Amino acid sequence: MTQTNWDLIRDAAGSTPTSQASLEEVARRSWPAIYAFIRASGRSPDDATELTQGFLCDVFLARGLLGKADQSRGRFRTLVMGSVRNYLADMHRRKTATTRRPKHGSIGRLDDLSERTSEPAGIPALTPEAAFNSRYVASIIRTTTERLQRTLLEQGDEAGWEIFRLRVLQPSLEGTAASYDEIAPRFGLGKGACAAKLLLVKRRFAAMLMEELRATVDDPADLQSEVVDLLALLSR
Amino acid sequence: MEPQSHNPRHDTASKLGDTLRWAFELDQSPALAGATWLTREIIPDAKDPFDAILAADTSLDALRELKNAYKMLRTTGVTAAERSLAARLYAATIAAAAVRHKTAISTQNAAALKRAYTELAEDDSMPEALRDIASLALTSQPPEPR
Repeated sequence: MTQTNWDLIRDAAGSTPTSQASLEEVARRSWPAIYAFIRASGRSPDDATELTQGFLCDVFLARGLLGKADQSRGRFRTLVMGSVRNYLADMHRRKTATTRRPKHGSIGRLDDLSERTSEPAGIPALTPEAAFNSRYVASIIRTTTERLQRTLLEQGDEAGWEIFRLRVLQPSLEGTAASYDEIAPRFGLGKGACAAKLLLVKRRFAAMLMEELRATVDDPADLQSEVVDLLALLSR
Repeated sequence: MEPQSHNPRHDTASKLGDTLRWAFELDQSPALAGATWLTREIIPDAKDPFDAILAADTSLDALRELKNAYKMLRTTGVTAAERSLAARLYAATIAAAAVRHKTAISTQNAAALKRAYTELAEDDSMPEALRDIASLALTSQPPEPR
């Protein structure tokens, strides 16, 4: 089961044994989109990294954004984006750019996070909102893909994962899909059975992706409008 | 195996949008969407499963692959409507191979095939041309397997 962002936020804001892990998970999920927003706002990569760390420490921790956040505030995406926008305006006013550390607690793996966040080409040319939304969706898709892979391999369905990787992931990453004539014999399947298996895996991926997205909206009924909004934002 | 790493340079908005769109449609789609997607994996320019099965230029090999795909969908479809449609399409591919290519592409016995053809021919939710091909298969000489 996917733990909803709101569950993580509540836990991260508390003082349970799992709060630190929840905080790091919220930071891990949010980092790429926050960084993209700041970078597309005209900051250099180094400044954007520092400001992203500052936002996570100052706003997530010191100002207690997580503690203030509640489901009645709507979508996690808009909450974070609005908070980053306000933070940048605040920083601009203060003209300070020193590395920030929280007064209480820490996000221990921030440096790891920044090292793992390579910058997609073209971010500076996007509007901050477009950069944020693009990285936000990319993070959710990546999380879903990793979850799908784990699930299929745990269930011994390596064929399902490989067919999905070669027919769906590879084309989206490299532009070319392996043909069924290449793939199907490797798993002792015909083309039709291979396609039917891929349909099953794609449906699992779709269900997991919707579950991940549903975890970011306060009301599950808002899922459809969130998807419609994201599609519109990505097509701009 | 480690989770697949992504080349972020390819995380373009349009590709993200495509992934999001098909995932959403697949999650919400009616019965025909799954069968149509499968059909296009085998015959990329097919309009829908009916079009693919009924087209005069659909080869025997393609009908065989369509049959195998629908056969699996009969049991793995997510809704009863999808599984029911897949069963009809499965029968239709066997009928089309028998009528147009005079070839048996199924090892089902004659009684089971007759039952499947009859149900398809009498199912008024199916396109008329598909029902006609089932009727023709019912009255044709049983084909030889190939």
